[in-house]
Amino acid sequence: MREPDLLLIRFGELALKGGNRAAYEKALRQNLRKALREIADVRIQAIHARILAYPSRRGAQMARRAAEVFGVKSVSPAYTVPADADAIEALSKELLDDALLRDQRPRPLTFRVRVKRADKRFPMSSIELERRIADHVLPGHEGLEVSLKEPQLELGVEIRGKQNYVFVERLAGPGGLPVGTSGRALCLLSGGIDSPVAAYLGMKRGLHMGFITFHSFPYIGESAKRKIQDLARAVCRYQGPAQFFVVPFTEAQEAIRDQTPERYRVVLYRRMMNRIASRIAHRQSYKALLTGENLAQVASQTLKNMDLIGRTAEHLVLRPLVGFDKEEIIAVARRIGTFEISNRPELDCCTLFQPKSPVIFGHPEECAAAEAELAIEDLVERAVEGTVIERVDPFD
Amino acid sequence: MDSRPGGLSHGLKRYSKAMRPIYLDNAASTPVAESVWKAMQPFFAQEYGNPSAKYGAGVRAAEAVERARRKVRRALAAEDHRVVFTGGGTEANNLAVLGAARHRGPGPIWIGATEHASVRVPGKVLAGEGHSVHILPLTDRGDLDQEAALAAIQPDTHVVAHMLVNNEVGTLYDIPRFFAAVRQIAPKAHLHVDCIQALGKLDLDLLQLHADSLAISGHKVHGPKGAGALIVRKDARIAPLILGGPHEDGLRAGTENIGGIVGLAEAVEQAVEHQDEFCASARACRAALEAGLRELPGFYARPSVRSVDSILSVQVPGAPGEVWQHHLEQRDIEVGIGSACQSKSGEKSPALKALGLADDETQHVLRISFSRHSRVEDAQALVNALRELAPHLAEVPA
Repeated sequence: MREPDLLLIRFGELALKGGNRAAYEKALRQNLRKALREIADVRIQAIHARILAYPSRRGAQMARRAAEVFGVKSVSPAYTVPADADAIEALSKELLDDALLRDQRPRPLTFRVRVKRADKRFPMSSIELERRIADHVLPGHEGLEVSLKEPQLELGVEIRGKQNYVFVERLAGPGGLPVGTSGRALCLLSGGIDSPVAAYLGMKRGLHMGFITFHSFPYIGESAKRKIQDLARAVCRYQGPAQFFVVPFTEAQEAIRDQTPERYRVVLYRRMMNRIASRIAHRQSYKALLTGENLAQVASQTLKNMDLIGRTAEHLVLRPLVGFDKEEIIAVARRIGTFEISNRPELDCCTLFQPKSPVIFGHPEECAAAEAELAIEDLVERAVEGTVIERVDPFD
Repeated sequence: MDSRPGGLSHGLKRYSKAMRPIYLDNAASTPVAESVWKAMQPFFAQEYGNPSAKYGAGVRAAEAVERARRKVRRALAAEDHRVVFTGGGTEANNLAVLGAARHRGPGPIWIGATEHASVRVPGKVLAGEGHSVHILPLTDRGDLDQEAALAAIQPDTHVVAHMLVNNEVGTLYDIPRFFAAVRQIAPKAHLHVDCIQALGKLDLDLLQLHADSLAISGHKVHGPKGAGALIVRKDARIAPLILGGPHEDGLRAGTENIGGIVGLAEAVEQAVEHQDEFCASARACRAALEAGLRELPGFYARPSVRSVDSILSVQVPGAPGEVWQHHLEQRDIEVGIGSACQSKSGEKSPALKALGLADDETQHVLRISFSRHSRVEDAQALVNALRELAPHLAEVPA
């Protein structure tokens, strides 16, 4: 099989965005360009309600990558052909035969040919050409049933004069909105399963993510930090490079261990994390925090404790997983390629000095009293000052 | 905040040549010796010929491989045996266990209780292939229970594999006596001994060990990673794992890793030549460490029936071994641990579990191992660091 000459990229929800539509489309084109350029040179063109990408090489790989870019509804690798009915017929048959060999769906499949004729100089009407192609490609394929309404398989032909092309394959995109069009958010990333999935969902709704992680060396080693960096890198596949903040958290954890009641430890760790994340978000112009918090999954995720934890954030806190079951989170984690990394056995700073019986329903006054001895401002400021900014690049 | 383009990690120091950490995890790996590196270098960009080629460059490459083979033979008293170069110690162990078992077809196989995964996992695979795989019994002190083992081993046994020196606690097993007796019971069995942690510490001789094959690895003795060898008797019957050419006497196909092979041979020669000095220095280091630990409440060096001096297993109080490890790392001292805290029960150190430690106890173990670069002062520095950390970590709950 030859490589496709161009990619037809369709977008979904964007079309509904009224006044902002031009800006969204521009962002999508930019995101596509960035994602595809990592593979090879590419020219991107906007045409009607679609985007065309012309790869210099590796078109098939680019089609798969384009189908991972948020905002994309579907991608069809297409093949150019001269404006000649015989040539169109021959290429159509070749592409359909190949597509059917690779299509695992049970037969029969409903099928149609759809011709769009923008160049009216072409000597046949759309319907005439559709019939002629169908008559040529169908013999030998008993597993196809012609159906003009919502066919499972569609052979598309576009006659545009300067350029004519044929396509069959249609790769489903992830939908959502182009990354960046909703602004920037800072994701609190741990080594667990949840937070990378939360970051992915944030990206899906148009957020550009930065990542912040809390590192308690020497209780926790470098390999634990590397695991979290690998998670950030894996999920950045869907947005491109990101900032990665590594906060030294040892001093704060030791202070909490030594100066506060044991049962409040985990809640206080998290309150401290939110304060530090907010401070960094403010300095680095992130407009929201995003966490992998899920309701009632662990002791710190009761409504009361989440409320106590959330109150120390000075930003909007997004919690995209709140309505997910663990199985649903794991299913997404597997699909986006973070599950196996999350499963690597490493220590986590949240489980350091874990109390035997953590508070389940924290009380605001009790919590305030628990923190009374802590030099909160000093701890936050020193953690922020000691933070190292790295960069994660999915293609590095 | 500190923005570093290279992503130099937080807490990770970049060591200059002058300021190296005290490295006490030599059972994991060792630095490549200067002489080894020098011997390897020509075989990458200059002498790149394929040893199978008939022209000059190929012949020179083939000669380098054969010279390396002779060096290993000489160093390991293996003049009458085959030396099969492999891609490391793991492959050498795999080749012996899988190769000997598969050549014979399904039958009884005996594997040591504290083997490295490169012997244990092939054992599991063979069980799936229809072999009956058994684990050799241990005494309650962690030594091989020879009496019980010899009573159990069947006359038609196909393979027996055991290590000479344990990689986690340093136990030295009496393989010569054991294999001599096994040979009486099961004369047709292939007897394999993993000598990866023994090389450079003990004289290795296939015939003295009453073994049919022994495995060694380069990077445990200042050689390169990815280079090992199986020393195997000429009449041993072994099926190759890697197929596709006549290389290595038909036992390991693929163009030879000449640089690695040359480096391995040089490292083996050095290790054997300087064995006595190394053992003396390791003995001194161990003595200093044991003496220091006796003064520290809660710490103790795991006693072993018999062990090499270069590997010592230390039980630590309070925090898990991994937390101690990172605190020592912060003080520029690098040591190994027993089991990682987060490893699943099945992955917990089999050697430590075989010694009767509970899962939880295996997490409170440091492994200290010395190389020819280790000094008594290093052991003392470790003791001092442990003493300083004890008030801080000895009370930390697991």
